[in-house]
Amino acid sequence: MATTTGLKPTSLTIRAYQVGFGDCFLLTFLYAGATRKADKERHLLIDFGTTGMPETVDPDGQMMRVARDIEERCDGKLHLVVASHRHKDHISGFATREDGSGTGDIIAGLKPEIVVQPWTEDPKAKDPKKHGKGSKTHVAFGQQENSLQQQFVSALSDMNALSEAIQLEVSNLTSTKFTRGLNQELVDQIKFLSEDNGLANKSAVENLATMGTNHFVNYGYELNVSRLLPGIKLRFLGPPTLEQHAEIKKQRASDKSEFWMLQAAAQQFWSLQSATAELIGDFTSGNTRLFPSADVFQGFFPTHNRWFIRQLRALRGDQMLRLVRILDKAMNNTSVILLLEVGGKKLLFPGDAQIENWEYALHLDKNANLKLLKDVYFYKVGHHGSRNATPKTLWNNFATRSADKKKRGRLHTMVSTMKGKHGCKDSHTEVPRATLVNELMNHSEYMTTEESALSVDLKLTFQG
Amino acid sequence: MIPVAKPRTRRLTVIAQDPSIRVDGRVLTTEVEIPAEEIAPGPRGYRVQVVDYDTSSGVLYQPLEYPPLQNAQYLDPFKEDAQRATNENLITDPRFHQQNVYAIVMKTLARFEFALGRRISWGFPGHQINVAPHAFADANAFYSKHDQALVFGYFKGLSGQVVFSCLSHDVVAHETTHAILDGLRNRYTDPSSPEQAGFHEGFSDVVALLSVFSLTEVVGTLLQPKGGQKRKGYKSDLISPAELTIEKLRDSVLLGLAKQMGHEMEGVRGNRAHALRRSVKLRPLTDKDDPKTYEKLEEFQEPHRRGEILVAAMLNAFLQAWRARITQLERGRPGAKLDLKMVVEQGTDAADQLLTMAIRALDYAPPTDLQFRDYLSALVTADKELVPDDSKYQYRKILLKSFRDYGVKPASFNSPDGSWEACNAQLTYDRSHFESMMRDPDEVFRFIWENRQALKLEEHAYTKVTSVRPCLRIGPDGFALRETVAEYIQMVTLQAQELQFFDPPIGKPEGMSPDEEVTLYGGGSLIFDEYGRLKYQVFNRINNSSLQTPRLKYLWKYGYFADKDTEENAFARLHLSRALNLTTNVAERF
Repeated sequence: MATTTGLKPTSLTIRAYQVGFGDCFLLTFLYAGATRKADKERHLLIDFGTTGMPETVDPDGQMMRVARDIEERCDGKLHLVVASHRHKDHISGFATREDGSGTGDIIAGLKPEIVVQPWTEDPKAKDPKKHGKGSKTHVAFGQQENSLQQQFVSALSDMNALSEAIQLEVSNLTSTKFTRGLNQELVDQIKFLSEDNGLANKSAVENLATMGTNHFVNYGYELNVSRLLPGIKLRFLGPPTLEQHAEIKKQRASDKSEFWMLQAAAQQFWSLQSATAELIGDFTSGNTRLFPSADVFQGFFPTHNRWFIRQLRALRGDQMLRLVRILDKAMNNTSVILLLEVGGKKLLFPGDAQIENWEYALHLDKNANLKLLKDVYFYKVGHHGSRNATPKTLWNNFATRSADKKKRGRLHTMVSTMKGKHGCKDSHTEVPRATLVNELMNHSEYMTTEESALSVDLKLTFQG
Repeated sequence: MIPVAKPRTRRLTVIAQDPSIRVDGRVLTTEVEIPAEEIAPGPRGYRVQVVDYDTSSGVLYQPLEYPPLQNAQYLDPFKEDAQRATNENLITDPRFHQQNVYAIVMKTLARFEFALGRRISWGFPGHQINVAPHAFADANAFYSKHDQALVFGYFKGLSGQVVFSCLSHDVVAHETTHAILDGLRNRYTDPSSPEQAGFHEGFSDVVALLSVFSLTEVVGTLLQPKGGQKRKGYKSDLISPAELTIEKLRDSVLLGLAKQMGHEMEGVRGNRAHALRRSVKLRPLTDKDDPKTYEKLEEFQEPHRRGEILVAAMLNAFLQAWRARITQLERGRPGAKLDLKMVVEQGTDAADQLLTMAIRALDYAPPTDLQFRDYLSALVTADKELVPDDSKYQYRKILLKSFRDYGVKPASFNSPDGSWEACNAQLTYDRSHFESMMRDPDEVFRFIWENRQALKLEEHAYTKVTSVRPCLRIGPDGFALRETVAEYIQMVTLQAQELQFFDPPIGKPEGMSPDEEVTLYGGGSLIFDEYGRLKYQVFNRINNSSLQTPRLKYLWKYGYFADKDTEENAFARLHLSRALNLTTNVAERF
C-alpha cells in the first residue's frame, strides 16, 4: 500500500442498513486528495446482524442484499470491522456457509485488515480448563482475579448454552398435553431473547476471529489506525475489564474484596446453569428424565393438581424470561464503545452498551470523559433505543443537543431498530423507548432505519 | 373394643441439613415430630400439598402414599432406609424428597404455631400451600405468593451430580419462613425500606439457621472431630472447656456449618453459607467507628446485605446464650472436661429458645415499615411479658448487647430495658364487647374508630383491621399468658405534590413528578390483655415525615416507581438478584 501520510478524509458517508432489529453501519471515508484510486475510499463496517425483519422487508433476501451492497460499496476492500458484541442482532451477518454462499463469506472476501471485538472475545481470556461444569475445581471467593476474568468469559459461553436450552424448554411449555399452554406473548419474548443469545452465532464468531488481524479491546485500549484510516482517531470507552469495573465497586464498599466475591458467585451461577442446560437437553430429546425409574402419570393428571401445574408452568416461563433478560443484558454490556474522531467531528458508536458498561467511563474518569463527549456530533443510539442504554448523564452532557433546528453543529442521532420486537409499553421496556425517542426527536437531527428499504444515509463533509 | 386415641404427632425422617453432611459416608438424617394427620397421597395434608411436577421435563411423578394408622401408630416409610449402612436411595427416590419437604414445611409451621400459641394462616386465600420439590431445572428455590407455592429447583452441580434444593433443610425452612411471615405480616413485602426488605431475608435466615442448630444431630456433628480424627481437646465423649470459647464455637459451629453447606448450593440458597460466613465475621462496631452504624454505608442499602446485620446480631446472641449455659455447666469444677452430649443439648436448647423468642416478637412488631430497632423492642417486650425474670439465662440482656454491637438500638428508648411502653392513652371501652373483641375484626374496628384520636389514627386514610388473633402462650415455668393480638393498617394514595400538606411536610423525592401517584402506609399492632384492655399499641403513623420521607426517597432512587410491574414473584427476583448481584442505576434510565 502506498504511503498515506498526511491524508485526511474530506467527507464521510454513514450508511445505516435496514436490518430490522439489528445493527449494521458502513462508514465510507472519502479522501479527495489521494492520488491512487485505491486510496480514495476507506471503509469501516460496524456490526452486521439481525433478529427479525419488518413485514415490508423480505426476511430471507434482505441480509444478502445488504451484504452485496457492502461488497459493491467497498469495491473489493474493507479496511476495518468492529463487531461490538456477540449478539445475533449484531453479528449474524458474519455467519458463513459450508458452500461459501453465506453473507459472512462475502464480508470475509473483502479481506478486512483489522477486526475489533471486545476483550471478552479474546481466546487468551478464555480458560481452556473451564472451571465449574463437570469439574471439581473452583476458585475460592476473593482469590485469583485472573482466573475470575477467565471464568467471566467462560460464563458468556455458559449463557449461550443456557439460551439454547431455554429455546428447547420453552417449546415444552407450549405443549397442551393435559393442561393449557403458555401465554404466546411470553413465549415470543423468551424465544426472541434466547435466540439472540444462543449458539447460532458460532460460524459468525469463527469468521470474525479469522478474517483479519484481531484486536480485543477494553476501556482505554490504544489502536493506531493512521495507516489504515488516515486522519481518523479511534478511542475505546468500553467495555471495562473486571479489574477496571472493580475499581468503581471498591470505592463504594467497606469490604474491598466484595466485588471479586460477588463475581465468583455470579460466574459459578452461570456455570451451574450451563451444566443444568445439558439436563434440559436430555429431557427435551426424550433420552431421560430426572428419576428414570420412578413412576410417572401417563394419563390425565389428577384434577386437584391441575390448577397448580398450570401456575407452575407459567411461573417457569416467567423465570426463563427473567434469566434470558439478565444474560441478554450481560452480553450487551460487553459491547465495544467506540468514539471516532474525524475532521473535527466526534462520532459515538456504543453498540448495545448499557448503563453498567458506561459506568466506568462516566464514573471513574468522569470529568475527562464528559469533556471528551461534550461535543459529540453523531450518536448511534445505544441498544436500538432501549431505556437503559443512553445514560442520562451522557445525554444531558451533550452540549450539541438542542431544540433549535438551525443550531450550528446540532447533534445527529441515528437509531437502528424495529418496533414491537423487544419489551413492552406496559412495563416501560418497549424498544425504542418512547420517552427517549421523544427526546431524540426534539433535541437532535433524528434518523431511524424503521421505514427504509435498504439504508439511511448521512453524509458529513469536513473542512480543510 | 376400646377405642384407642389417635396420636397427636408423628415422626418422619428428613435429611438433617443437606446431603453433603455425612457421617461415616452416610447422609446425616434426623426425625422430626410434626402434627399427625391422615395424609392423602402427595403427601397432601391439611396445610401442605406436595405436587411433584417437573416443568423442565413435563412430568408428574407418582405421589408418596402413606399406610393408614396401624396399632395406634403412624409409620415412617423411610425410617429403615435412613438407618441402613448406605442410605443413598434417599437421594435417588423422589418419594423421599416429597416426604422431606412435607415434613420440614409442617415442622416449621408447627414451630411458629407453638411459639405464637395459635393457628397461622398462609398469606394467600387458601389453606394448603403447594410444594413442588422438583419444579424446574434451575439453581433456584423460592416462595411464590401468586402461585400459593414453595418451589424448589434442581441442577447439575460442580461434581456433575444433580443437586436437589428440596433436600436442604435450611433452604426449605428459609422459604417456608417467607411464606409464614407473609401470612403473619403481609405488608412486609410492600416496597418500603432496605431494612424491611432485609428483614424478610434476614429473619428467614435466622429461623432456618436456628432450626438447624436446634437439631442435636447437626450440632453434635459440628462439634465432633472431623472425619473420625480425634481433635485436640476431645477425649471420647468429653470436651475441653478450651474448645468452647465464643471464638471456638463460632469457628466450629457457625463457620463449620457454612463450610459444610454444599458449596454448589450457594446459587440456590442465595449464598446463605456465604451470608452466614459474612454475618458471623461482621465486626461489632466500636466507639471509634465512623459511621456508627452499618446502615449508613452504601453497600448496606442492598436488602440482603442489610439482612446480614440481623443475622449477625441474632447468631452472635445465640453463641453468647450458649456460652452462658456452658458456664453454668462448669460451675463448681472449673477447667474440668464437660460431657459433649450436655454441651450439645445446651446449644440446641439455646437455639430453640432464641427461635421461640424471634417468632414471638412478630406479634409485637408494627405491621408496616418495619425497622430492626422496632423488632428489637418487640423481641424484648414479647419475652418480658412471658418471662418477667430474665436473670437465669439473661437472653434479653444478651440480645440488647448483640444488636447494639451492630449499631441497632431499641426503638423504645424511653423504657430502661428497651421494651415498648405500655399504652397509656385514655381509651373508651364502653361500646365494645369483650367477647367479640377477641375474634371479630368489625368489633375491633369499632373500638379503634371510637378511639381514633387517642390512638393517633389518620382519620382521612383507608383503615382496615386485618386480623384478630387470640393466643395462649406457655412460659418456661408453665405460666400461661393469654392475649389477643389485632392488627390494623392504614393507607392513603395521593399525588406527590400533596405531600407538602402534611404537618410536618413529607419530602417529595428530587426529580419525582408532582403528579406521580404515591401510597403512604401506616398501621399498628394492638395487644389486648386477658381482660380485653389494650396493653400495647405498636404502630407507625402515616403522618410521620421522619419515616415517610426517607421511604419515598429510597423507593424513588431504587426504581420502584419505574418498575411497579415487578411485584409478582418478588422472592424469585430477589434470589436471582442476590445470586448475581444485580443492580441498575435507575436514575440513568429513560
